[in-house]
Amino acid sequence: MTTTENNNNNPSNTTATTATDNNNDDNEAFMIQVTENLPSLEDCYNFVVTGTSGAVSTFVGITRDNYQGKQVAKLSYEGYVPMAVKELRKLCRDARTKYSSIDKIAAVHILGDCPVGQASVILAASSPHRRDAMHCTEYLIDELKRRIPIWKREVYEGDLGSVWKENAETRQMERFDV
Amino acid sequence: MPTIRVLLFAAAREAAGNVPSVDVDLQEGSADTAVLSRSSLAEKYPKLAPLVSNEEYITLALNEEYVPKGSVLPLKAGDVVALIPPISGG
Repeated sequence: MTTTENNNNNPSNTTATTATDNNNDDNEAFMIQVTENLPSLEDCYNFVVTGTSGAVSTFVGITRDNYQGKQVAKLSYEGYVPMAVKELRKLCRDARTKYSSIDKIAAVHILGDCPVGQASVILAASSPHRRDAMHCTEYLIDELKRRIPIWKREVYEGDLGSVWKENAETRQMERFDV
Repeated sequence: MPTIRVLLFAAAREAAGNVPSVDVDLQEGSADTAVLSRSSLAEKYPKLAPLVSNEEYITLALNEEYVPKGSVLPLKAGDVVALIPPISGG
């Protein structure tokens, strides 16, 4: 019985590459990326808007400058990239099942450092009428925080160090219970 | 002996001494299957024992799919297991 430590960076484990969804069936409906170069809000909007869209709803998560009185310098993100992309694709499919009028969805998440004031996650959904698009973006961010394997370290100003954060939603993984 | 790879992320990676992955040789449970439980992983990799034994803290994934809590993983050579600490994306 032996164990071997792999100190080299494992490609499946890397935070250094852009991972894009390559499932052909979903390519037209979903824009999914886990990447160091986050697409802009305009890129996401342009992807989801279609001729039948009467509404586009968007959510942008941004690095806040403080946490419980401490000044935050940046957030640093790490992901299990291939699984995060697969789970995002499942999440987009679940969202279209739940909100059946949704036309298209963009779901993009940053990797690496995200300074204060910059976007870490953008979610956008289009639909003929407003309600599905609005409910869909709320569902997407709530579920993303619960089940997409991405982690952030919050780095504070000065010598206050840093901590791995834990989403409250991650404790509610009831679908993984037997 | 079948070998699998165990990926470590975030707090789990750091707890192991900043090691991103570990290759584990499994003892054969039968002719073509082996089994990896949390306790066997903890035994094989003592630095991870406090983390991996805690089902509330570490969720497991097998080949990029979440594993239901409490289940034992039947494995084959080349499988990839991941230790998933509490998620903090967003």
